[in-house]
Amino acid sequence: MKLLTHNMLTSKCIKGVSVGYPLKINASDVKETEIDFNPEFVSKMIPKLDWPVLYEAADSLGKVGDLPKNIIENFENDEDFLKKVHHIMLEVEIVNGNLICPETGRKFPINNGIPNMLLNEDEI
Amino acid sequence: MDQSNLSNQKLKKIEKKLRKLQHIVLKETGVECSINKPTNILVIANAGLINGLTEETVLEHFSIYGTIETILLIPGKSCCFIRYSDELSAIKASENHNGTLNIAQNSKPIYLLYATSLPNNEDDAINEETVPGLVIFEDFITLEEEQKLLDLCDFESNSDVSHMKNRQVKHFGYEFNYNTNNVDKNQPLTEGIPEECNFWNRLDNTAFKSFIPDQLTVNHYLPGQGIPQHVDTHSAFEDPIMTLSLRNPIVMEFKNSYKHVSVLLKPRSLAVMSGECRYNWTHGITPRKCDMVHTKTGDVSFQRDTRVSYTFRKVLRKPCECMFKTNCDSFKESIEKLRSNAPELEKEHVHKVYEKIAGHFDSTRHKPWPNVVEFLESFETGSIVVDVGCGNGKYLGLNKGVFNVGCDASLNLLDICNKKGLEIFAANCLKIPIKDNCVDGAISIAVIHHLANDERRFSALEEIARILKPGGRALVYVWAKEQEKDQEKSSYLKQYRNNKTPQAAGEASVSNLPIHVNRTQFEYEDLLVPWKLKRSNESNKSNEPNTFLRFYHVFHEDELKELCEDIENIEVIKYYYDQGNWCSIIRKY
Repeated sequence: MKLLTHNMLTSKCIKGVSVGYPLKINASDVKETEIDFNPEFVSKMIPKLDWPVLYEAADSLGKVGDLPKNIIENFENDEDFLKKVHHIMLEVEIVNGNLICPETGRKFPINNGIPNMLLNEDEI
Repeated sequence: MDQSNLSNQKLKKIEKKLRKLQHIVLKETGVECSINKPTNILVIANAGLINGLTEETVLEHFSIYGTIETILLIPGKSCCFIRYSDELSAIKASENHNGTLNIAQNSKPIYLLYATSLPNNEDDAINEETVPGLVIFEDFITLEEEQKLLDLCDFESNSDVSHMKNRQVKHFGYEFNYNTNNVDKNQPLTEGIPEECNFWNRLDNTAFKSFIPDQLTVNHYLPGQGIPQHVDTHSAFEDPIMTLSLRNPIVMEFKNSYKHVSVLLKPRSLAVMSGECRYNWTHGITPRKCDMVHTKTGDVSFQRDTRVSYTFRKVLRKPCECMFKTNCDSFKESIEKLRSNAPELEKEHVHKVYEKIAGHFDSTRHKPWPNVVEFLESFETGSIVVDVGCGNGKYLGLNKGVFNVGCDASLNLLDICNKKGLEIFAANCLKIPIKDNCVDGAISIAVIHHLANDERRFSALEEIARILKPGGRALVYVWAKEQEKDQEKSSYLKQYRNNKTPQAAGEASVSNLPIHVNRTQFEYEDLLVPWKLKRSNESNKSNEPNTFLRFYHVFHEDELKELCEDIENIEVIKYYYDQGNWCSIIRKY
């Protein structure tokens, strides 16, 4: 699972959970892959991100490196910055671990890179 | 008023009217009529059933002139035929009533013609057509036995019989409740079927040899009485139902959506209704005083006289499992159950099935549909597009400029996506774990038709709408009930192979849903569609069943559109039919 996906996921679908965001990450296995860099794609994606959540996720995995805590100005023209964001949101992947609902503590297992967000009958 | 009192001018007016009506009667009934060449058949040329004319009114005014053999009122026609036993009676009646008897619509006068014959009425006459599943055994009982049966129920003395609107009835074994159209299966009557009715060994050499009824309804019909068209409640009785006719003949009408067959039931004959006739055709007796029988030698009509029928049935102890779902109350009940049972049904007939067929499913799903690809390509670089129910991921990653993420409830299908390097997560389309107002686009191709009731299908669409950003667009495909449009068969139908025999279900079903024959038109909206599994060689050794049943709700023409239009903040920007699917593009505002 990419951190870009994590940036969108919520456990709000559980009965009684009001926000369910962001999901805490408890990763046992993280990998880094290589994805083609597309500066236009990254620039367009940045405003759509919840930046603090991305930063926090990267930090919890020890992958934050020298990513700035806040989005920098004129990032569209800063290829170095775009590449860092590209790496964090697309190339860092959680292979095994859990996503945890911030309100209930419900764990959603990630196996072989696939988060299982399926709920039981009594949770809906 | 006698015609001889009429002025010349008035007579001319009548004649002019009659000439006009001559043509109308010919056109409507095919019968040649004459104004002044008398026969024994009179035609009231301007009044009939559709104008409210009744047999009683006709009898009242016409029976005084002689013996009436037949009164024929034809459904949907504005004329009436009266056959006297002799010509003179017809002439007398005509002289007295032509142009002067005010029993036509709005108390207008009737006009009378002489007919050369009675109409050869297809709808109302016995013809060569047969009712599938109806078998008649003539002279099933003897005259002596008939008398014994008649003595059993004395309708004339009026004790312990029920008076229905149009007949009298008496029940044995179980009381038939005309309010519920069923029997109270736990309340047998003290009086069982009389011993005199034990003649069932006469059916030993027939298909009905094991028939032992436990319910009997005796009906007593006077001339002019009848019973409305009906199908005996499926869940009330087994197949077959048998009716013994006593005393006098009667014509029984059998109807389905397309056909009407009139059948003469002679006294002492046993009519056996089974299969299609029992489950899918209505039967009834038209309340009237004469019946007409169309035989090879011509039409014969007869006056009705008292008829008694003994109808024998066997109470059904479980839900009906017939093939004729349209009229089946047990089937309707099981459809109702779907509303509450939907999660279980989806689990059994959608989720579990996809887990089992994932590999084979993947090998059959390569080619993306062009219109879906076109939609995906309409998103600009940097868009987020979610595939709700992504299956084997054939629509993920086609547009390289967007971030595509898929979800599905089948873990085995997701494993397949994973091996293709696609970004996915496991989720049910009813609970998408994505923030509100988050994505630029969504697709849901062939997913929502797997949800088992209307509320759930609507919820799934609402979920898609919820995750869309304002301005975001989604494309939804569902399977259409109509697999042929503008005379063009869908590719699903085109792939029908004649040599293919319908596959029997490999798995017991949790429901009573109809099982579809693949590559044929859909007969039902909610159904199970078989998937015949081709196993890879190594896994072929198992004894597991090879056919799995997937639940589908197939959508009629506007159904998806109407659901989408009911979602808040959503507009349908395009609605179309694509290869047997109804497709909707929606936009959030």
